[in-house]
Amino acid sequence: MGTLEMIILIGAFVIFSLIAGLLFAIQQLQKSQESLKKIMKSFERLDEQAKLIVKTDLELNKAQEELDKRLNGLDALQKTSRRITTTLDENEIFQRLDQSLMMNLGFEKNLILIQDKYARLQPRINIGFYEKDIAVIISHIQKNEELLKNLQEGQTFSSGNISHQRKEFINQLFNADYFILSPILTKNGLIGIIFVGNSAYSSSLTEGDEEIISILANQIGQAIENARLFEEAFRASQILETKVKERTQQLAKALEDVQNISKSKSSFISAVSHELRTPLTSIKGYASILMTGKLGDVPEEVKKRLEKINMHSDNLVQFINNLLDISRIESGRVEMNMTKCNLSIMIESVHDLLTPQLKEKNIEWQAHIDPRIPEMLLDQHQVERIFINLVSNAIKFTPQGGTISINAQMNNNAVTIEVSDTGIGIPEKDLTRLFEEFYRVENEINQNVKGTGLGLSLVRKIVQAHKGKIWVTSQVNKGTTFHFTLPIQQ
Amino acid sequence: MSSQIGIGFSSHLDAEQAATEAILQAQIGLGSPNIDLIILLSTIHYDPQTVIQSIHQTIHCKKLIGCSTAGIILSESVQTRGIAILAMVSDDIHVGISSIENLDKINLEDAGKELARNILSDFGPHSRQIFLSFIDGQIADYSSLLKGLQGIFGNIFPIIGAGSSDDLRLEKTFQFYQNHTSRYSANGLILGGQINVGIGAGHGWRPLGKPRIITKTEKNIIKEIDGKKAALLYEQYFEDKALDLYSTGLNQMTILYPLGVYIEGNKEYLLRNAIQGLEDGSIICQGDVPSGAEVHIMIGNKESCRNAALEAAQEAKKNLFGKPAKLVIIIESMARLKLLGRMAHQEIAIIKQIFGATTPLLGMYSNGEICPFESVDKFKKPLIQNESIVILAIG
Repeated sequence: MGTLEMIILIGAFVIFSLIAGLLFAIQQLQKSQESLKKIMKSFERLDEQAKLIVKTDLELNKAQEELDKRLNGLDALQKTSRRITTTLDENEIFQRLDQSLMMNLGFEKNLILIQDKYARLQPRINIGFYEKDIAVIISHIQKNEELLKNLQEGQTFSSGNISHQRKEFINQLFNADYFILSPILTKNGLIGIIFVGNSAYSSSLTEGDEEIISILANQIGQAIENARLFEEAFRASQILETKVKERTQQLAKALEDVQNISKSKSSFISAVSHELRTPLTSIKGYASILMTGKLGDVPEEVKKRLEKINMHSDNLVQFINNLLDISRIESGRVEMNMTKCNLSIMIESVHDLLTPQLKEKNIEWQAHIDPRIPEMLLDQHQVERIFINLVSNAIKFTPQGGTISINAQMNNNAVTIEVSDTGIGIPEKDLTRLFEEFYRVENEINQNVKGTGLGLSLVRKIVQAHKGKIWVTSQVNKGTTFHFTLPIQQ
Repeated sequence: MSSQIGIGFSSHLDAEQAATEAILQAQIGLGSPNIDLIILLSTIHYDPQTVIQSIHQTIHCKKLIGCSTAGIILSESVQTRGIAILAMVSDDIHVGISSIENLDKINLEDAGKELARNILSDFGPHSRQIFLSFIDGQIADYSSLLKGLQGIFGNIFPIIGAGSSDDLRLEKTFQFYQNHTSRYSANGLILGGQINVGIGAGHGWRPLGKPRIITKTEKNIIKEIDGKKAALLYEQYFEDKALDLYSTGLNQMTILYPLGVYIEGNKEYLLRNAIQGLEDGSIICQGDVPSGAEVHIMIGNKESCRNAALEAAQEAKKNLFGKPAKLVIIIESMARLKLLGRMAHQEIAIIKQIFGATTPLLGMYSNGEICPFESVDKFKKPLIQNESIVILAIG
């Protein structure tokens, strides 16, 4: 083989090798490209998965954020509720609605407007608003009758649940993209509003925000209502207390005046009575001397006149004695001389004393004395005067053939005594004034029979001096009953 | 030689009252009428000027810095409304502070340099240990500012930073410096002296989906991913929800699912919040993003957050080399507060377990963090992060 042939052979071999290498390289390149494609595909798949992860992560973050916000809101609501429900002072309620606590509800803007006593909305909590803006907000709300009507009906508005038009209105008024506007209601209706809101930069509303704000609004409403009711009751009680105080002072003054007048009156009566009794005694004495004829014969006509002088003097002395007794009892100058008395015996002796008058008018006498009544501590003389006065009156006003009865009953720690007659009775209008001094019922008998009008007054004084009570019941033309009590004192 | 630390907090509704309560509480804890340094944190519910005036009317303090925050981390709780004050008096800790304003109008790298120079001037010739900065959360480009700071402090000097935050709207952030408040500003303090500093950081977010390549960037703006408009990445995953990307405020989607950039040599993915989408489909991030890097959508959960917090606390403690912590400062992304929700305090409980229940602890929720992240290199370089927890332990 020549050199040329060798060269050709080697050349062919080289070319063949190169072609083979080239083909191999191409094959490898194709393989690499396929691997690269596979890797690229894997990357793409990885990227798709990454996108899925990002989406899931975004959702998780959003959910977490909402959950955090919800938890913060609930925490703030719980703290707020606890604070405002434990005070009955309206101002204190808003002091306790700590602004940082309100911030924890998750809103950068908070506004609570409450009506004052003139029904004008006033800001009580303000976070994120200028005062001048609040004035504009109040003005617009008060002009918007439809909004007020809806709020009055208890409707809560949130940026997620209202018409575009209203959303725009609230959005522009409060300058907040996400918001909740809730009424604060009491039993009497709308008393305020609560607004919370965020701008577009901050977090939007999350589920449950509306509920939280509505609950808070309700709690504020209830707290204010309770505070206002308490305030009302407190004021009423204060007014009442002041009135009672004033009236008590007036009564005390009146009582003092009455006591002074009564004292003056008693002193006057006492003085006058004493002054009258002395000359009266002389008149009666001289009349008696004249009547005896020791100073010379007394003609029959003169004697009759002297007897009249004597009788009228006796009446006058009796009258003056009664006056003096009343005066003494009132002034406390007469002390009851308490001794053990048997009521039954006392009543019987009064009966004996008045039997002639009873017989004169043919009046039946009945006495029913409870046998359980023990001996009682009484001023016998004075109590006898009670019976004499009451029975004498009964005789006076009971027609011929009538009945007078005395009934005495044990009643716990007292004895209730009734002196009844079947007389002409007392008109109802006179009953309340019957025990007043000098008061006399206007009737035919009184017009004909002279009296002082002091007897029943004296009776009442004696009963009261024994710590008892006296009252009267009567029916015209049927009869009258005087009731009085005497405590049983051992 | 000693240091006293007092921490006060109040959630009173009135700014003046809250500030006064907080400072008096801190002063009681401090046990001293003199205060060398105050770190003041406030949620945006309070007028910052009233807050700072009330503090100065109540006490006299030499140095004060602070900022607004979405929430305050206390030893026993996490509060989303209130004012917290950390007051310190010390013979062995040296402090230098300064502030720079109008960051929306000036070159941020220059601003960073100026801030660093001024702080060093205030600090004096002491050994410096750590720089802590509060930067307005509305500043989009933290990287330039950090670059400026590193230009003065050096690339491996530990820098910790917190972006001031509000209620996620990024409208009301503010900074406190001495007796005034400002927006679009940054302030900071250097701590030095005979102290040990332990720093730990982590985030716990993990990559999701297929890897993509950032094909075109311009500093902190990602123009294209896999040769397509960057925003398409979010659109593919979030469909209609991706429209939030084009709103001005921060939104749940981008802070919960940040972009994760894989940087060769780093143990953790570098997280970037997509602050805003532009009309051309570009995405603005809070820090620079390297072109050609692998990028993922990232995802985190409560457990991964807690694990990251635990690891960060352990790392910070380890870096104290056996010295007990006198103070623990936590800077934590507000995205984590959003993610953890009511469980946020669990993370703090884990940290407390590491440092002990009695160690004073104060923290804030930030919008963007700067911290030295662990890398395979010997030195940790400060990086801008999102969704992170940064734990600074001073021993």
